[in-house]
Amino acid sequence: FVFTRDQVLRIRARKEEQIALLRELGELEDLQIDYWLSPAQPGLPVDARVPFHNLQAVKVFLESNTIPCSITVDDVQELLDEEKEAMMVSRKFERSNNSFSFSSYHTIEEIYSWMDYLVAENPDLVSKIQIGQSYEKRLLYVLKVGGVNRPAIWIDTGIHSREWITQATGVWTANKIATEYGKDASLTAILDTVDIFFEIVTNPDGFAYTHSTNRMWRKTRSINAGSSCRGVDPNRNWDAGFGGPGSSSNPCAETYHGPYPHSESEVKSIVDFVLSHGNVKALLSIHSYSQMLLFPYGYKAEPVPDHQELNDLAREAVAALAPLHGTKYTYGSTIDTIYRADGTAIDWSYDNGIKYSYTFELRDTGHYGFLLPASQIIPTAEETWLALMKIMEHIRDNPY
Amino acid sequence: MQRRSAARLSPLLLLLLLLLPLAWGAGPWPPRADRELQVSSRLAGQAARVALHYLNYRLGSPSALRALGQVRKATVKPIPGIGHKYYLQFTTEDYKSSQNVGTCLATVLYLKRKPRPAVNINCTYTKDQKQTREDDYSFYKKLRQQTKPITGNDTPDSYGHIEPALEPAWALAVAGSSYLMWEKSTENLGYFMAQVKNVKQWITKDDSIDFDYLVILHEIPTQEMISCHLRVIWTPGHPLKVKYFCLSENQRSESGEGSGTESGSTNGIFNEEEANF
Repeated sequence: FVFTRDQVLRIRARKEEQIALLRELGELEDLQIDYWLSPAQPGLPVDARVPFHNLQAVKVFLESNTIPCSITVDDVQELLDEEKEAMMVSRKFERSNNSFSFSSYHTIEEIYSWMDYLVAENPDLVSKIQIGQSYEKRLLYVLKVGGVNRPAIWIDTGIHSREWITQATGVWTANKIATEYGKDASLTAILDTVDIFFEIVTNPDGFAYTHSTNRMWRKTRSINAGSSCRGVDPNRNWDAGFGGPGSSSNPCAETYHGPYPHSESEVKSIVDFVLSHGNVKALLSIHSYSQMLLFPYGYKAEPVPDHQELNDLAREAVAALAPLHGTKYTYGSTIDTIYRADGTAIDWSYDNGIKYSYTFELRDTGHYGFLLPASQIIPTAEETWLALMKIMEHIRDNPY
Repeated sequence: MQRRSAARLSPLLLLLLLLLPLAWGAGPWPPRADRELQVSSRLAGQAARVALHYLNYRLGSPSALRALGQVRKATVKPIPGIGHKYYLQFTTEDYKSSQNVGTCLATVLYLKRKPRPAVNINCTYTKDQKQTREDDYSFYKKLRQQTKPITGNDTPDSYGHIEPALEPAWALAVAGSSYLMWEKSTENLGYFMAQVKNVKQWITKDDSIDFDYLVILHEIPTQEMISCHLRVIWTPGHPLKVKYFCLSENQRSESGEGSGTESGSTNGIFNEEEANF
């Protein structure tokens, strides 16, 4: 089918008899009129595609019956060609970022290539920094959102590789931050005050292992001297209460703290980055599952000096999260709410002057656990966003 | 009409619930001197889950499985020489739909010497019991009609997907694992069923449903993933029969079996009749 020089006429019938005429016209097979908007009632527009060689006859008919019309499409084929080209351009775009879907779980390669796409799409806002290498020499990437050196918020997802909802939420959230800048007034005000550093695949070796071999792998993949068991729990390896009973000294255990603090390059890279930056005001570490918002300490029962403020902010954050999908979170200090945990990231950051140190435990509460269905990725990310915004707004409004 | 189970809606219970704020300080409930816990505390949530494991096992009904909603009140009383007794009030949700299905009052006694916690639990149930019985029966019929035994791996899979054909088998695994998790729970160790690694149905000559499972339990706070072989034999309306054998990464192995006659009494009188099967 070719539609070269076919036209689309917009016809305005004002009387019932005119509508009847138009219907009869449509039934004349030789004219091959194709109604895009059929004749229905007086006053409603009628759109008719008329083949080129019948245009004159149709126009004469309309004129002689005083039925006004105008040309809305001059050349249908031209219109089709333009549309086809636009589709090809959009498909090329999709291919170049692998038709990235936020409601699916992805591999490292897919996430890393998407990160490059995000940077390319937002060159003035987002940049990618390499902060180190994993044990197996994978590159550790951090997305920086913001501008010149300002107070900063650090966010990490995927430090425990089996918590797949966290890396997926990280991707959605990074995208949200980049796309809402300049649109959402509150976020724009936040980004005009603070920078955000976002490490999405914080434990790439573990993550690759969950895809290739063992979906339930939690730790890093470092080799432990004198043991056949690999890996250190990257959230027991920080220098805060390191080695205490809230972690294990057995290399085969899931909460093995490692030979010494910051022995894991995945952890050391963050420590070095945060300390050399010198102006990080918040550290938000995202985990799953349990639906909790936790603040220090995990390594001792004594409340932190800022307990009141952190507790109040946590209450507000979970209250902001709940209404969207009815998801209920509990909150409190790590040791009171989840369990004693020694050598954790947020305890280290708090003890290093970073007041706003929080651990998120995302969905769910045990039904699917680590194996959260992909259909819950976007709802989880959307609700977590509301809690993150609450915290970031508070940080913006309470500089220290 | 009423099932011989712990989930009974009785006028007395309703009255008790209504008078709960007053009753809490009197009667069988602990005197105010005992330690009240934050409702968000892990010990309270953990004890509530133990009570629910026991309930889910005793009800033995895949359509009436319950999950923890929210803890409303929790108190712990140390009993010198014996252990710690938790007094709990919590809401529950339907395991599949997450709809609120009622409130429970429970006591959980963690004993120093015997590993298995002693549970006493009473719940309201807002789901239509006739409906759940019918749902159980359609489950049962579907499974009985299998000429080829159901087998499967990784349920849910890495992406959280449960094959619709494996749903009944998965629900029965949750019910069977509840026994296992109740048995293994201590005041400090809690469990979730993370995945059914493997399922195999045995076609029986009698009217029972018989499944062999390899389940993965997630242990808190150690974060260990524990593999257990589970054998579950089910006939609707009858107590669940469960046999298990667990192996962890650290090579601790434990086994046990239950036939639905275990007592949940907290008076120190244990009537255990574990039938062999």
